[in-house]
Amino acid sequence: MIRLDNISKKFGAYPALDDVSIDVRDGEFLALLGPSGSGKTTLLRIIAGLAFPDQGRVNFNGEDVTGLSVADRKVGFVFQHYALFKHMTVADNVGFGLSVRKRGQRPPKAKIRQRAEELLDLVQLGGLGHRYPAQLSGGQRQRVALARALAVEPQLLLLDEPFGALDAKVRKDLRRWLRKIHEQMGLTTIFVTHDQEEALELADRVVVMDHGVIEQVGTPEDIYMSPGSAFVSDFVGETNRLPVSVVGGRAHFLDRHIDVDANGIGDGHARLDFRPHDVELSTEQAGCLPIVVTDVYRRGGEWRVEGEVSGLDWPVEINVGASVPAPEIGKQLSLRINRGKLFHQSGSQP
Amino acid sequence: MTPKNLSSRFPAAQYGLIALALAFIGVSLVLPLAAVFVEALSGGIETYFAALTEPDARSAIRLTLLVAAISVPVNVIFGIVAAWSISKFDFPGKSLLVTFIDLPFSVSPVVAGLVYVLLFGAQGLLGPWLREHDIEIIFAVPGIVLATIFITFPFVARELIPLMNEQGRDDEEAALSLGASGFQTFLRVTLPNIRWGLLYGVLLCNARAMGEFGAVSVVSGHLRGLTNTMPLHVEILYNEYNFVAAFAVASLLALLALLTLVLKSIVEWRFGYHHGSARH
Repeated sequence: MIRLDNISKKFGAYPALDDVSIDVRDGEFLALLGPSGSGKTTLLRIIAGLAFPDQGRVNFNGEDVTGLSVADRKVGFVFQHYALFKHMTVADNVGFGLSVRKRGQRPPKAKIRQRAEELLDLVQLGGLGHRYPAQLSGGQRQRVALARALAVEPQLLLLDEPFGALDAKVRKDLRRWLRKIHEQMGLTTIFVTHDQEEALELADRVVVMDHGVIEQVGTPEDIYMSPGSAFVSDFVGETNRLPVSVVGGRAHFLDRHIDVDANGIGDGHARLDFRPHDVELSTEQAGCLPIVVTDVYRRGGEWRVEGEVSGLDWPVEINVGASVPAPEIGKQLSLRINRGKLFHQSGSQP
Repeated sequence: MTPKNLSSRFPAAQYGLIALALAFIGVSLVLPLAAVFVEALSGGIETYFAALTEPDARSAIRLTLLVAAISVPVNVIFGIVAAWSISKFDFPGKSLLVTFIDLPFSVSPVVAGLVYVLLFGAQGLLGPWLREHDIEIIFAVPGIVLATIFITFPFVARELIPLMNEQGRDDEEAALSLGASGFQTFLRVTLPNIRWGLLYGVLLCNARAMGEFGAVSVVSGHLRGLTNTMPLHVEILYNEYNFVAAFAVASLLALLALLTLVLKSIVEWRFGYHHGSARH
């Protein structure tokens, strides 16, 4: 088990991480998700031993490794831009970790080559060992980087934006494939990403970070369905925001009562967040939000409807099942919000 | 507007500029270079080789090679160490170090020589101590080597710093994470990454080490057969109106320059290496 206790780190006066604690379970696939500058990469580097915290402890299986360097932590690290050794063949890259071992622990050359070939087979690059990194595609390079990291039999696999430099199609394929490899090997894996879709699709649990603190830790389901903060709600998935005022457990947009669960939300300004698919068209007016359709287009199996709400500066986006005819532009619709989440706001901003 | 457009619009300007550039290069570079060889061979091939093989000339050639053989490796080691620490680590005083590396480029070589005389000369700061211990630096080979090292100090470091900066730390960190020691990382990852830049820096450093005149002239003392390098020997021969011999030795330096250019071009073409710093 990997355990991070109260990790803090500053770059100059800028706090990159502020009192961060996480437990990572054995065999877990964990995503560190956040925008750039959220501290996710710094946290990954601290786990790896490529960076060191100002405060806090790093524990691997009950052993304090805070002071250990990367070489002594037995972690596999995959860099965003692969960091393959350009002057070595693919096989030599993969075998590098074994070939730099001390005499005595170092396997014979034939054995290293054999191990490299096995790993290249595992990452579906069998037979490409004689090539140089420059002769491979981006996706292939990333897989070589993974094979190289696995060659040293790490107890923990760390990936920094593993798909960041790849195009969309390759990224998707590689994503599935990485998940499969993970299930096959059962290796505890932590990866950093700014792509919420990637985090939700791949990870067992997601750690959402912003400004050096953890906003929420949970399963993709938790994160998506029950965002723990306004930031998470905004950052993960598509969200409509509606500034409302709450009085006595009832939410109002302007003077109109909106029918959502506002129990436990203190009186005052609040933000009502709802997903495009968490609404339905209603024939009633009471408790609903009236919108005027400004744009309709097909998106996969559904209609995406953009509408104007009078008194709101930005459009509302909703999904409507494509089994019904597309709503006409200019038509007035009444939206019932089936599932919304209210966040109390201290200021007057929405 | 593409260059093609430009040249078809202003053909006169295009050819005029090219002709001007060629004429300038011809008069200021090619003509003098040709003159060196013409003058060197004006007494016939035998006179030419005689001038190169007489004892003082041989001693000058030997000393020049010795100086280069010491100062180039020293500056290669220093250059790598400096570039490594500047590009891979953050530490206080980093920008100061970068500025100091540039110092030899901005100081006149004569001043550099004088500094060594003030430091190590008989009347210098360390002069009495050196005399007590029978160590000769000024007007001796060690002084020449020191002055040359000073002058050629920046070449390797200047070449490597931008290159290593651009390459970042990822490769090194990858090697370390795979269990490599610092030395293994340097030898197997960093060095191969910088080899062409290093070779480029070594070529320039070597050319300057062999060709340096000003600083060496101050500390050498011009003792024939003892402390004369090739450039100094050329000057002495010239001052004695022995033009053929002077140009013969000078032609060797010119050949060295041409060889450096050719090797430099090979490094650039063959290995696609483009040096990062704009100076030299």
